[in-house]
Amino acid sequence: METPTADDLLQFRDYSGGAPAQINVNSPTHSGSGGSGGGANAQRQRGDPLQDLIYDMTTSAQGLSGGGSSGGSQPQNSPLDGSGGGAGGGARISFLTIEYYQQFFNVDTYMVLERIANSMIPKRAAGNYLRMNIGENPDLYGPFWITVTLIFSIAISGNIASYLHHASDGYLWHYNFHLVSYAATCIFLYANILPAVLWALFKYSLKPVDAADTIETDSATYTPSLLSLMCIYGYSLAIYIPVSILWVINVSLLQWILVITAALLSGTVLIAVLTPALRNSKFSLFLIIGILSAHVVLAAGFLLYFFHSPPDAKLAAITPTPAAPAPPAALKAVTQAILTGGNGNQSH
Amino acid sequence: MDSKLDMFEDVNTSPSLEGDMSIPGKRTTTATNASGVPDYNTLDEPIRETVLRDIRAVGIKFYHVLYPKEKSSLLRDWDLWGPLVLCTFMATILQGSSSADSMSDNGPEFAQVFVIVWIGAAIVTLNSKLLGGNISFFQSVCVLGYCLTPVAIALIVCRVILLSHQTRLLFFLRFVTTTMGFAWATYASFIFLGQSQPPHRKPLAVYPIFLFFFIISWLVLSHN
Repeated sequence: METPTADDLLQFRDYSGGAPAQINVNSPTHSGSGGSGGGANAQRQRGDPLQDLIYDMTTSAQGLSGGGSSGGSQPQNSPLDGSGGGAGGGARISFLTIEYYQQFFNVDTYMVLERIANSMIPKRAAGNYLRMNIGENPDLYGPFWITVTLIFSIAISGNIASYLHHASDGYLWHYNFHLVSYAATCIFLYANILPAVLWALFKYSLKPVDAADTIETDSATYTPSLLSLMCIYGYSLAIYIPVSILWVINVSLLQWILVITAALLSGTVLIAVLTPALRNSKFSLFLIIGILSAHVVLAAGFLLYFFHSPPDAKLAAITPTPAAPAPPAALKAVTQAILTGGNGNQSH
Repeated sequence: MDSKLDMFEDVNTSPSLEGDMSIPGKRTTTATNASGVPDYNTLDEPIRETVLRDIRAVGIKFYHVLYPKEKSSLLRDWDLWGPLVLCTFMATILQGSSSADSMSDNGPEFAQVFVIVWIGAAIVTLNSKLLGGNISFFQSVCVLGYCLTPVAIALIVCRVILLSHQTRLLFFLRFVTTTMGFAWATYASFIFLGQSQPPHRKPLAVYPIFLFFFIISWLVLSHN
């Protein structure tokens, strides 16, 4: 009885010694191309060499970030070292060192551009994007700089819009620096509070997993970490940067079309990316409506506050738009519904 | 792959830049004679010479920013005197006057400009450190601060232009001046800081620098 267990143990140890190396080779984004046998589509085939490139860059970047996390790229290291790629490496580094935060900035130019494009164009990201791409290596570079860029692009465009508004009459125009403070407050709140709330709701409303279809749910559902959610939300704001520059054109119909297009584009991408997590939740419908309407409300709020600041201009902008039937009233109703629905959810 | 990794690890571990760092007062200490004694003694010399030497070091850095060719001198001896002078000067000019009519004048406060410059430089530097750049914190802050010189010159020109009655042509002149200052500052800081990043991350480190100077140039342009 004892010798087979000893053998088993030995074999197990051998196996565990070899397994992390394989996991590591596949871990950053390579597994995306490795899993293409299941749902092989044209996108993934097209992106294959590019994903290899990302993989190369990620591993070299992990080597560059140095410290203990360099184990991610070297299979010869001890199993403890290799056991989780970037996330596992962070557990042993003190959060007071700069190496701890370097793992959140472990991206390359190509990856950032790819993620920005994925946040704007529907159906561009693969089905397992949340788990394999964002979940493996959530970065804070993109979200941080996208929010900062958005703050200043909104403040600057708002100023230019008010300048153009007053350019015709002889009114001496002064620029309004305080728009920066307001924009910073509201955008940072949106990009930080909403992912936290969403994360909490995902945790709270987790469906009990059936033992029968564990394998299926394992591939189809996935609850993202708080960091991944913040990453996705930060990137989803990227579309508002070009939109905020286009808002300078003072045609209210165009402005409202831009609001709806941008919010729907980035909102549907958000829903599509979060589908594995939403499938896991009991209140998926409420969450979908909440995410979408928060996105629309944010865009409409930007437009109304930063570009239509005089109240008479706001009224004038709303009334002659047949394309958007009374947007503020509808939005208010939707938000009311969401709020009450959210409260109902909480009380369940 | 292995060779690539080795190369980056070499870059990461070699303390070449940090090793050369010294405070500007001791800049000429490196030019010691054979016995290791410096050429001057700060205890015996008149205080005027000490101050003048430091001022000369600051002036040389201003010159290097305006004529960005040699990239090592700004990195070797960092100081924060130039950034402090520039930042204080710009914040003083840019602050909105709260005296006359506080309703219409919504310019930034002195502290807001000051904080944008210093916190902005710190965040840009932190970003390049987090991306894995091999440059020390204050070297980068020093370079970013000194690279504000073209923007500050653009601010002086704009201030002079603003003295006369405003027309569209004068606004266009201000716009051109500010754009030139912005391009100059970005180019100079790119020359000094661009080498500190691995090549596939260079745009990620350069973009925040671009944004930093763009925001300050916007403040300069919209000041009236």
